Amino acid sequence: MIKILISTLLISVVSSLASTVLKAAPATPAMISGNADKGEALYYNHGCYACHGYNGIGKHNLANDVSGIMMSEAVYLIFLRARSELNPPLPTQRMPHYPESSLSDQEALDIYAYIRTFKDTPPEAESNATMRAIINSAQSQAPQ
Amino acid sequence: MANKRTNTPADKGNRISRRGFIGASVVGGATTVLAPAALAGSTGISDKNQPKSTPPSEQKMEREVGSSVPPKPVQSVRRAASDLMVQVLKDLEIEYVALNPGSSFEGLQESLINYGDKPNSMPEVISALHEGSAVDMAHGYGRSEGKPMCALIQGTVGLQNGSMAIYQAFHGQTPLIVLAGNDEHNFLKVHTGEDIAALVRPFTKWDAQPETLEQTLLALQEAYRQTITPPCAPVLVVLNSEIQKQEAGDLQVPIYSPPKISGISQQQADSIAQNLILANNPRISVGRLRTPEGINSAVELAELVAASVQTSATTGPMSFPQRHPLVGPGSNNSYDYHLGLEKAAAQVSITGPDLKSLIERDVAGVRFGWKEDPTLRRGPKPETLISADAEASIPLIVSAVKEQLKASIRKSIAERLQASTKENHVFRMKSLRQAIEKKRPGWNDTPVSLARMYAELWPLIKDLDWCLASPTHFSGRHHRELWDHDKPYSYLGQFPAAALGYGLGSSTGAALAARDRDRIVINIQADGDFNYMPGSIWSAAHHKLPMLIIMHNNRAWHMELMYVQYMAGVRGRGTDRAHIGTTFRDPYINFAKIAEGYGMKSEGPISDPKQMVAALKRGIDAVRNGEPYLIDVLTQPR
Ligand code: HEC
Repeated sequence: MIKILISTLLISVVSSLASTVLKAAPATPAMISGNADKGEALYYNHGCYACHGYNGIGKHNLANDVSGIMMSEAVYLIFLRARSELNPPLPTQRMPHYPESSLSDQEALDIYAYIRTFKDTPPEAESNATMRAIINSAQSQAPQ
Repeated sequence: MANKRTNTPADKGNRISRRGFIGASVVGGATTVLAPAALAGSTGISDKNQPKSTPPSEQKMEREVGSSVPPKPVQSVRRAASDLMVQVLKDLEIEYVALNPGSSFEGLQESLINYGDKPNSMPEVISALHEGSAVDMAHGYGRSEGKPMCALIQGTVGLQNGSMAIYQAFHGQTPLIVLAGNDEHNFLKVHTGEDIAALVRPFTKWDAQPETLEQTLLALQEAYRQTITPPCAPVLVVLNSEIQKQEAGDLQVPIYSPPKISGISQQQADSIAQNLILANNPRISVGRLRTPEGINSAVELAELVAASVQTSATTGPMSFPQRHPLVGPGSNNSYDYHLGLEKAAAQVSITGPDLKSLIERDVAGVRFGWKEDPTLRRGPKPETLISADAEASIPLIVSAVKEQLKASIRKSIAERLQASTKENHVFRMKSLRQAIEKKRPGWNDTPVSLARMYAELWPLIKDLDWCLASPTHFSGRHHRELWDHDKPYSYLGQFPAAALGYGLGSSTGAALAARDRDRIVINIQADGDFNYMPGSIWSAAHHKLPMLIIMHNNRAWHMELMYVQYMAGVRGRGTDRAHIGTTFRDPYINFAKIAEGYGMKSEGPISDPKQMVAALKRGIDAVRNGEPYLIDVLTQPR
C-alpha cells in the first residue's frame, strides 16, 4: 500500500512538475537520442499499442506531445520505472511497471523517439461533413 | 419425475415405437450383410466382387407379378397432440421458435412446420446452429420487444449447451421460454433424465415437466405468464416426446388468462401524485421498464407534471426516449421531488422484485455472485423505497395526477414545460459539442478509430428505424452522446452476466424482431465474442435478417491482454509476451471469409476509415433490402 502511495505520489509529482516546466519553457526542443524505427517495432512488441492505440490515441494519448511526462527523456524514464509493483486488488488496465530488466534504457528511449513522431491532426468539427451532420441533426430538434 | 401416462387406444394399436423401429432396422441390416458373405463362402470366391443382394422376399415376388395389394395406409393420429401445443403458442402470439433439432421433439417440430392455416408462421421455426445461439436469439428478441419467443432444444445435452445463455438471460431479467424435449423411451439414454430442468433450475424462474397433454398446454400458458411477470426471467418447460405424438381426441385448448401484475396501492399513488403536482421542480428517473406500454405511460406522467427526466435509454432497452424535450437537467437542478421508476431517486423509488426473490430455486446452493440490487447501487438513497413493479404503478399515478390537477396549477406546469424544454436543448447542444471534441482525436487514423466508426454510422441511420443490438462498452459506447435513443429497443444494453458469445446471437434475435417491422439492426461485433458461436451468421443469412455486422476487430481478447500486461508489469517481467493466449495472431482471423462461408455477404478487412465509410453505406443498403451484411473493420484496440 505504502509502495503504491509512494509511486502514485512520485508520478503525480513528476507529471505536475513536468507540465509546469513545459508550460514555462515550451519552446525548448527536447533531446531525442533513440531510434524511432526500432522504437516502432518495440512499441508494438511490448504492447504499448494496447492501451495507447497504434498511433498514440487511446486510453491515454501520447500524440502531439500533449503530455508533461513526454517533455524529456529523463522524465519519461522516471515515469516508466516508477509504476506500482504490487498486485492490484482488481484486474486493471493501468500503465504497467517497466523496470530496466524488462525494458532497457535504450529500448525505452527508442520507443520514446517513436512516440515523439506521433502527430494527430483531426479535422475541426465545423469543417467535417460527418461531425457537422451530427450537430445539425441535433440542432434541427430545437424547440420552436 | 417418472411418467405416469396411461396408454390411449391410438398408442396401443397403430404406433410404432421408436425402439421397435430401430430394432427392426438393425435386424434388416444384419441380414443384408450376412447373405452375400454366406454366398461367397459357398463358391469359394472372395466376397469383395460379389453383387450384394438378398434373394427377393415372398412379398416382393408378389409385387413383381402384380398380385399383391398395397397395405392400407394407417393414420395413427388424426389430431396430433403437438398441434395443440403449437396452437397455444399461436394464441400467445409467439413469433419465433429458434431450434436446434433433437430426437425428443420431432412431434412438436413437425407440428410447427405443418400445422395450421398458415403453417410455420406465428411461430416460425428459426434454425439455430447451437443451442446457445437459440437462447441468445430469444434473449435479444426479448430485450427488444419486452415479450418472449421460444428456444426449443434437445434434452440434457442441448440444455447444457444452452445453459450459459440461459444464465445470461436470467441476469438480464429478460422474458424467454425454453422448451426442452425429453425422450421417454431413452432413444439415447444419456440425452434424457428424470428431472432435466434441475440442470438450469438455479438460473431459471420457473419450470415444469408436465405428464399429460392437458398439463402440457396449461404449462405452456403458465410459462408465458411467469416469464412476463416481474422479475422477468427465463422459464423452462420439459416436453415429453411421447405426449407430443399422442392423439389429442377432442381436447380443447384452454383459454389463456394474462397475469395480474400488481403495482403500488391507490393510497401510495395518490400521495406520489400530490407530491409531483405540488413540487416546484419535480424530477423523474426512469430505469428499465418491461414493455413499450410502460414507456408510454411514463411519458404521459412526465408530460402531465412537466417533470425533468433522467433516462436509461443509452444504457439499455425499455426506458424513456432520450431526445424527449423533458429529458435533461431541466431549467434548474435543485429538484424538490424526485421519483424513481425502476431507478434510485431521492424521495421515492418504485422498484420491482429482483432476482433475489428467486433464491429458493438455487437448490444446489451455487449463489451466483448475489449482490445488492444494481439499480440501487449508484445514485441517491431513496427516502422511501417501494417494492412494486413500476410499470404497473405508473397508470395509477397518472390517473391520480389527472384527478388532482387543478386549473391553477396547470399554468405553472405549462411554463415549466417550456422552460425545461428550452434549457434541455441548450444543455444537449453543449454536451454534444463537448462530446464531438472528444471524438475528434485519431479521426483519420488507420486502423479505424472507434469514435469515428460510431460517428460515421449516425448520419446514415438516423432517419431509419434502427436497433443497436450489440453490447458496446468494449467499443467505447460512442453512440451514447452522438445518437438519439428514442425507441424502446434503440440500445439493448450490456451483456448482463458477461457470458460468452452473446453479441452475435442476441443481435440475430433482435433482427428477428426487426425483420417484419421495417427496422434494421446494427451489431458492432467484438471479435473475441464472435468466435464462440459464429453459426448465427448462417441463421441470419438463411432467414434473411436485416442485420449489419460491423466487426470491432482488434485481434485480441483485448481486455484480458491489458490485464495480463499490467500483471506482468507488477512482476517486472515486461509486456512483450503478454500477447500469448490473449491475441489472435498467426494467423489473423478473416471474418469476411467466415461470413462468406456461411453465405452472408461481406467485405473486409478494412483499416482505412474512408473505405469504411463507403462500406457502411453498402452494408446499410443491403440490410434495408433484407440482406444481412458483415464488414470486417480493423480498429484501434479501444
Ligand atoms: C495496460 C495498459 C498500458 C500499457 C500496456 C501501456 N500503458 Fe502507458 N499508460 C497507461 C495508462 C492508463 C496511462 C495513464 C497514466 C497512469 O496510469 O499513470 C499511461 C500513461 C503513459 C504515459 C504518460 C502519458 C501522459 O500523458 O501522462 C506514457 C509516456 C506511457 N504510458 C508510455 C507507455 C509505453 C512506452 C508503453 C509500452 C512500453 C506503455 N505506456 C504501455 C496504460 C498502459
